[in-house]
Formats: sequence, C-alpha cells, structure tokens
Amino acid sequence: MADLDLIDIEKHFGTNWVIRKLNLRINHGEFVVLLGPSGCGKTTTLRAIAGLEAIDSGEIRIDGKSVESLPASERDIAFVFQLYSLYPHMTAFENIAFPLRALRMSEKEVREKVNGVARVLRIEHLLQKKPSALAGGDMQRVTIGRALVRRPKAILMDEPIGALDAKLREEMRVELRRLHIENKSTTVYVTHDQVEAMSMADRIAIMNEGILQQVGSPTEVYSWPANLFVAQFVGSPIMNVSNCRVEAADSISKVRLDGMESPFHFGGEAHQRIAAAGHDEIALGVRPEAVLVKRTEQPGYVRGEVHLIEPLGACDILDIGIGKAVIRARTESRFVTRLHESVWVQLDEARTHFFDKRSGLALDRKR
Amino acid sequence: MAKLTLKNLSKSYGDITAVRNLSLDIRDREFFVLLGPTGAGKTTTLRCIVGLERPESGEVWIGENLVNEWSAANRDVALVFQQYSLYPNYTVRKNLEFPLRSKLRQIPAKEIGPRVQKAAETLRISHLLDRRTDRLSGGEMQRVAIGRAIVREPRLFLMDEPLSNVDAKLRELLRAELRQLQLKLGTTLVFVTHDQVEAMTMGDRVGVLYDGELVQIGTPYEIYNFPRNTFVASFVGSPAINLFDAGIDGNKLVVVPEKFEIALQPAVRERLHKVAGQRNAVRIGVRPEHVKLDMSGDITGRLYGAEDHGVEMILTITIADHLIRATSSATTRIPVNAPIQIAFAQDKLHFFDTETGANLAQI
Repeated sequence: MADLDLIDIEKHFGTNWVIRKLNLRINHGEFVVLLGPSGCGKTTTLRAIAGLEAIDSGEIRIDGKSVESLPASERDIAFVFQLYSLYPHMTAFENIAFPLRALRMSEKEVREKVNGVARVLRIEHLLQKKPSALAGGDMQRVTIGRALVRRPKAILMDEPIGALDAKLREEMRVELRRLHIENKSTTVYVTHDQVEAMSMADRIAIMNEGILQQVGSPTEVYSWPANLFVAQFVGSPIMNVSNCRVEAADSISKVRLDGMESPFHFGGEAHQRIAAAGHDEIALGVRPEAVLVKRTEQPGYVRGEVHLIEPLGACDILDIGIGKAVIRARTESRFVTRLHESVWVQLDEARTHFFDKRSGLALDRKR
Repeated sequence: MAKLTLKNLSKSYGDITAVRNLSLDIRDREFFVLLGPTGAGKTTTLRCIVGLERPESGEVWIGENLVNEWSAANRDVALVFQQYSLYPNYTVRKNLEFPLRSKLRQIPAKEIGPRVQKAAETLRISHLLDRRTDRLSGGEMQRVAIGRAIVREPRLFLMDEPLSNVDAKLRELLRAELRQLQLKLGTTLVFVTHDQVEAMTMGDRVGVLYDGELVQIGTPYEIYNFPRNTFVASFVGSPAINLFDAGIDGNKLVVVPEKFEIALQPAVRERLHKVAGQRNAVRIGVRPEHVKLDMSGDITGRLYGAEDHGVEMILTITIADHLIRATSSATTRIPVNAPIQIAFAQDKLHFFDTETGANLAQI
C-alpha cells in the first residue's frame, strides 16, 4: 500500500479546463472519495493517477516517486469501473485468479489468495459460477475481488456501484467500507453521489468545474462546509440557503430573510462571525435538522406557516413559509399533520452558517 | 378535474401478465402514486388509463364516463413522460401553444395567449417563453413539459417517472414544486415511480404494485408503519427494514439460523400470540430507527460498519452472523469491531408469515 501525491495537476481539453491546480495527498491506507457533479474533473483525475490520461502539468507521485514516465501497466494500481469487465467464459474463481496467474504464482498460493478475498467479499459460494449466472451486485463483487487479489499499491474505483439498484447499493456501501477496514488498501473512489461519499470515505475531496472545493472528513464537510457549493452539494434534504438582511448591534445580530417582519436574533459566536464580515452581503445557510420547530408561540421564535409536509417514514420534512422565504425543517413523523398550520421557528445558532454572497465562502468560524 | 376508477383491470403480453385484476379508486383532486420496481405493471396501468393500451378485461372510468372505447385523444388526460419530448427548434411559447392549436380541441385563437401566459406564470417560466427549448437546463425543460400538460386544462394528469432524469438536488426541489403545483391547481394526478422517496413525499396515497398486482393502498404513513407484507416493508424506507426469522419459544423469540434471543415484554408477547395463532415461527421486521443502542440492552453484537450521513449515523451490527441496521445520532462514535449492546423498540416490531410474507396483524 502506498501514499499518493497529486501536485499542481492541470489538464485542459482545448480551451476547457478540466482540472485546475489540484493538490491532494492521499495517505497510505486511506479511503478518499472524489465527489462532484458530472464534468467536475473527478474521473479525469482518477484516470490520470492510473496513467490512462496524460496531464498537462504537475506531478503525480506514488510513494514519493514520480510516475510520469511509467505506463499504466507498471504503476501497480488496480482500476474498477462502473461496468463489470469480467471474462464471460471463466468462472468467478478464474476471473479473480487471472492477475495472479499472470504473475506465475503457484496453484496453492493462487487458491489461498482467491479464497481469502472471496471470504471478505462474501462470494465463496459463487466461485464456480460464470458471470452470466451472477446477479449485478455479485458480478461487481467479483470485479472488486480481481482488483484486490494481487494487493496493488492502490485501488481506484470509478462509480463502481452506480449501476446497481438502491437496496443493493445500500448493502454494497457497507461491504466496500468493511473491505477497506480489513484490507487497508489505499483507495481513491469517484462518485457523484454524496451519500456514497459520506458513508464510505475517510476523507472527501469535493470538486466543481475542475477546482478542488474542500477536503475533509464526512463530519467536516457536512458540519463546516467551506463554501456554498459544498454546503448544498453535501446533505439531503439540501441545506436551506437564503439571502438575508443583517442589522448588527453591539452584542446581537438581527437577521431577516426575504419579506420577514420580526427577525431571527443571533448572539454570541454567530454574531461575531456576522460582525467580522463587515458587510451585509450575506447568505444564511441552515440544514433542515438545525431548524427548531414548535407548535406554540415561544420567546425568540418566529411565526411561519406550513406549506408542505413530506413524510420520509422515520421523520417528516416541512416546508415552512416565513415572510417570502421558505425554510425546510426536519421533524419527527406526524409532528404537523395539516397544511397551513402555524408553527414557530428558531435556528440553532451553533449550526447556522453564514456565507459571503459575493465569493460564496463561509464566514470564518471557530470549530 | 375528475376521479378515476379502475375495475378489475387485466393486461398481458403473450404469456406475461403485466397487470392482474387491478381495482383502484382515485379521488378527485388526489395526488396518487403508483409505486413499484421495474416490471411491476405501473407503466402498463398508466397506458391503459391514457388509452395507449387496451386492457383485456376490466373497466376504466374517468369521472362518470366509462372510457374503454374512447380514443386517447378523447379521454382528455395529459401524460408527462420521463423524456421531455419537447420540440427542440421551437421556443418555449410555441411548445406550450402547440397542444392548444390542435384541430381536435378547437380553442379560439384569442384564448391561447392568456392560457400560455397563465401556465408560464404558474411554473415560473415566463422569462423563458421566447427561448428555444434546446437552450434550457434539465429542470427548465421538465417545467415546460409539465406546462404543456397544464395549458390543456385536462381532467386528469398522468406522469411516468418525470423526475428520474434530473440530478438528485434538482429532483428534491422539483418534488416539492410539483406537489405545490398540484395543490394549487387542485388537479387529480397519477404519478408513476420506482423511487420510494418520491412516493412517500408526494402522494396523498400510494398504491404499491408488485408483479402485476396491487399489494397495498394507503397513505405514506400507513404504508411505512403498517406494511401489508415483507415486500412493501422492505421496498419502502431507507435504510431498509431488518427482516429475520425466529422461532416462538414461550416468552422469547429465538432468531435462526444463527441463534440469538429476544426476551419479549409482556404486552408484546400478548400481541404476538394473538396474531401468530398456531404458528411456531415468524419473520420479524424492525426498522433501523427502532434498533436502539442501549448499554443495558440484552442483545450483544459487534459493530460491523458505521456510515456518517451527517444528519445521523447508520450502523451495521453483527449479531450471531445476522447483519442488523440501526440509525443513531450523528455524534455516535464507536470503533469498528467493538462490542455493542442493543435493544429493539418492541412495540414497533412487525411480525410476518415466514412463508407468504403477509403481515400477521393484517390477515
């Protein structure tokens, strides 16, 4: 297993930038997810690490050594694609054994290694089947087994479970994460699905338009997004973001969303963040679970009206109209059962974010 | 606007029965979702309603009319597909005018402008009216496609997976928008999807289809909390419900094949014995939010994996070789492989038949 270093990577197709000044270190044994919308440069980055794509400038190092001159086949990196690329005429066992046979390993050793990987992937009972007899999830398990069996320096995966149905994806997320814990392979995983990123990564690197937006643990990117893009790309339901008008006084900031009569009050640390910005071009961001909702009037709470109730089973999402703005809140199931009811709303200060409207950057905060 | 009634509808293609004896009452102004996996018969049902498909037997009623013999054009229903099927060279305005200019409808020319304007305002696309549709974003195109259905002011709206081509964020916004729109227009809407989140969040009621049959009809709350069988239980809800078989042994349940025991509280034991009858085994269903980390819990497992979803953690726990899913607070920090004590919220346990999967409380 190895460290990967990406240093000042740049790549463009014609006049279009695909990757701009990308710097990222992936540590030995780490599971890093490259997350972003389609066209953000994540797959190009992955292919550049594998040696399948040339870069225009910058350097890629594996264990400190530049791999610029190494072709893909000599980088000792395994690649798993979204589509399973198994040999149809071989059994699952032979498919997994294939890279070992190329290394002229003894039969006994091959069997040990294949069985070892199969045990971790829970496909021992499928080893004698051919790919055509396997379900999608099992085929992908075999593909992953083949990638892992020769213990490459790093394993790269490009949306490996994107083609599976929702239930199977849920299971495979757990299995892939478990596999990583047991094998400790340095893993770089590309996806556009923030749930996959959040649930599997040690660290997430979020990209947009070729630019790395933020790198951090799932908790960090979720709780302390660096900018508006990250704030709204990570998390579901989406973070509420509203333009707001701010009146900062000595120890308190009054914050009004569009058309709001009585303001939200922020003291303490949130007030300091707002005051430190020195201007009022500010957007407020708050996740639905940080919107506190009461059925009766409370001091410090602002009245709103329920426009929509979205039941998710374990909880409900309410669309609450306040002034001209709509804020979505997460409540327990059946907290409100009728539309147009009045509710009273406060925002959890510690979990309310403020962004500079012009740059989109989060206003500084202490963690 | 109108109610819609299907009576004993059946349709097959060769040897394959797509829809079997389906009966359904959809109320006036209702947002009704047909939910099911691929091949369940949802789209066939929809096509029978529209008139694009002839059922072998059964009746389709729209309002007070039996419409089996009516052509699609005469049924006065609007269908919105997954593909937007807009005319790419035309402006948004022309796309919206198009259904109104149909000779069949004979709408006076002076009415067309105001109707297009009104639909555009409702959907907040007035500023796009003179733009060509191939210059629009996915969300805008979907709004125009819906707009083209709205201008006709049909008796019934039918939508076939209209949100599945847009990305996750936009889908979330469009979901709420579409529901708001339906409430505002007061239309009857039948919405087909395989996505249980769409069904739960938008429907007044949901009809769950499986293998050509309607398995359950109910409000999202009913479908989630009182599933008719194990199929509905595991199709609805994410993370999925935990299901495992257990033998009934006096005051406890013994989970098999790898054994662990659940000591039953008196009230739950009574409930189980009432529904289980002569059975000596049941399939237990327990949703992840009803598996509690509990230091004094009597069931011991090990943490197999932890997923940080920001708003909460999803834990996978091994208990005697069973993998059990639990949700817990976002701040939970337990090392993988660590021992873990859990308890089930026993009043929330579901009991199903081990053979048929039927919910024993509803037989």
